[in-house]
Amino acid sequence: MVALPLRPATTAQASSENYVPCAWRSPDEADMSAWEVSPMAALRTVDAGVKGAPVGPLVHGPVLECRELHKRFGDVEAVHGVSLQIAAGETYGLLGPNGAGKTTTISMACGLLEADRGEVIVAGRPLTTRSVAAKAAIGYVPQELAIYPDLSARENLRFFARLYGLSAAAANARVEEVLAVIGLAERAREPTKNFSGGMQRRLNIGIGLLHRPQLLILDEPTVGVDPQSRNAILESVEALSAEGMAVLYTTHYMEEAERLCDRIGIVDLGELKAEGTRAELVALVGEHDRVTLEGTGDLEAAARACKSLSSVRAASVQDGGVQLIVDSARSVLPELLRTATDAGLAVSAVEVDEPDLETVFLHLTGKALRD
Amino acid sequence: MKVVTIATTDLRRLLHWRANIFFLFVLPMLLILLLGAAFGASEKARIGVLGANEGRLARQFVAALGARPSTELHRYTSADALQQAVARGRVDAGLEFPAGYDARLQQGRGVTIGYFARPNSVAQQLRATVQSVAAEQSRTLAAAQVIQRDLKASFASALARAQAAAATTPRVLVQLSAPDGSAYRTTAGRFDSGASTQVLLFVFLNSLSGAAFLIETRRLGIARRILSTPTSTGTLVAGQLLGRLAVALLQALIIVLGSLLFFGVNWGEPLGTAAVLVSFCLVGTGAAVLLGSLFASEQQAGPVALLLGLGLAALGGSMAPLEVFPNTARTIAHVTPHAWANEAFSKLLKHGGDLVTVLPQVGVLLAFAAVAVTAAVWRLRHSLTV
Repeated sequence: MVALPLRPATTAQASSENYVPCAWRSPDEADMSAWEVSPMAALRTVDAGVKGAPVGPLVHGPVLECRELHKRFGDVEAVHGVSLQIAAGETYGLLGPNGAGKTTTISMACGLLEADRGEVIVAGRPLTTRSVAAKAAIGYVPQELAIYPDLSARENLRFFARLYGLSAAAANARVEEVLAVIGLAERAREPTKNFSGGMQRRLNIGIGLLHRPQLLILDEPTVGVDPQSRNAILESVEALSAEGMAVLYTTHYMEEAERLCDRIGIVDLGELKAEGTRAELVALVGEHDRVTLEGTGDLEAAARACKSLSSVRAASVQDGGVQLIVDSARSVLPELLRTATDAGLAVSAVEVDEPDLETVFLHLTGKALRD
Repeated sequence: MKVVTIATTDLRRLLHWRANIFFLFVLPMLLILLLGAAFGASEKARIGVLGANEGRLARQFVAALGARPSTELHRYTSADALQQAVARGRVDAGLEFPAGYDARLQQGRGVTIGYFARPNSVAQQLRATVQSVAAEQSRTLAAAQVIQRDLKASFASALARAQAAAATTPRVLVQLSAPDGSAYRTTAGRFDSGASTQVLLFVFLNSLSGAAFLIETRRLGIARRILSTPTSTGTLVAGQLLGRLAVALLQALIIVLGSLLFFGVNWGEPLGTAAVLVSFCLVGTGAAVLLGSLFASEQQAGPVALLLGLGLAALGGSMAPLEVFPNTARTIAHVTPHAWANEAFSKLLKHGGDLVTVLPQVGVLLAFAAVAVTAAVWRLRHSLTV
């Protein structure tokens, strides 16, 4: 059962109303109060002197376009004909179980792996493993903690800032901004091996934001993260997307995909089985919402009255309640309650059961997402 | 510029580990001190003498020995004390004159001088010096006996005439020089040899140990992440090579400056020494990167680094001088870069060589480096892109 607020599935730049302030806090850092910093503050602050950083107007058309990507490792076809597009301000989720081909797909999407066939275009430029300039548009956050454990957070950030092409002065300024964003400013001098898992994960993400990329690629960024840090990461991704950044997010957590993603691609066995908004995917498999009204009074009369509504496909009395099959529970619920009450039912509880991505995944692949 | 960023980060990581200060600085200095104390040759060979007052001839023998520029006399009054001094290394050899030394010689009888020494090359050289003094006294005595017999003079008078004649007789002198005619320096400082062999041992060993940094960078996914930035594979490889080279050069510099400062080691002609060290550091760099690209974990590479670092050093003359190797072993030793570098240092430090003198060895070392670096680059690129 889900009742998650979904953002409009738009590919246009999101408005600033969607901005969510971020306050990353984990149990081991409860004494730190200076973190309540907007992740957007750093993104808005333009650092002059950044060489090659994708500051400026967003590209017209998709920020990322993958066309018919194929990749084979020996006898195993890891990716088979995957095509997708992501616009500025859009968060696209690749949802699939472990081994579905998500990491291989994003490895090709960020120029780490050469496709056997197909093409990747980033910010209008073709991308291969040798396309150094095109990589400047991408911020890649790998699944593993790709940070030096014996260097401090500041040294790690400064190292990658220089590799992203920032000048020494710009790198220093930007590093301090990102340290504030990820809530590590006060522990910036400590070796990262002393950090908690959540702190390391935040640093891992912070590195990908150093050069303010047009496209942020996150490969299962919440694996092994405590609930507070996980929530903060999700809020941060929402905020970055709202600011206009295109985000490619891979996960095998259905809840994350439903919460974050404007569009979702369902991947299994190297193939993109389906893609679209959550509603589109649910519609694709032809599932309907189920509403159960519990209460006292004339159950049969209430069922009959509700069935006369055009959006109600079926109504019956079961287990001391009225069970209704409807097209969209969210839109029809007020009318259902009014109709049932008018028919003599004193409603004491309402239960809404919407088909979720788990259902869609099961329908499309014949197996559960966590298999 | 990114190459420098990658290299300096490598160096910074090395210096973050306090234990590395010990391996880079303290341990090499300690070994140079120990090797110098145990095996190093001092400016003069120390010889202990017992029974030097056995007569005029014994005193003359000892005086002649003491007049040699390479000997330093120490007098002892008992055989036990002298033997103990030799055994404990306070002197390199002991010389014992028998009772009645002068009387027996005056009677025309033979005399045996006792010589006992430590089993090292200094004692062997000292033995030759003692033998030459003995031969010189024998010749003078032989002349004195002829004079005594022919002129019916007293032994003292005959000896005086023989000694006077010997002083004016032209001598056969031997001039030492290198094959090319340049001056032949026969004395090196006590710590010179140890310092040059240890610099090679530690540069190579610490370079190979540094392969773990490369493996860790790859294992943690940092290399992959670097390649997701606008950084080419070539830049990453060049950065990692430069980082390893910086570590090797730092190690060499620490040992050279440290040994110069603390032990007054003479490193010979600066250009020649620099050429040998830089080319050897390049070999270490190539070997380190090759090792780092061949293994998947630090645990696998560690023992191999230790084995190669110490094994090649031993085989190449960094633990015992190449000069004491049998011919076959010396030939085999030259499959190692250490042997070529040690040979170059021998020319620079023992024979006063310069850059030109060591060019053949430097050339071979550069060839070693070229092969190692080429193989390393190929393997590293492969390991980064798979």
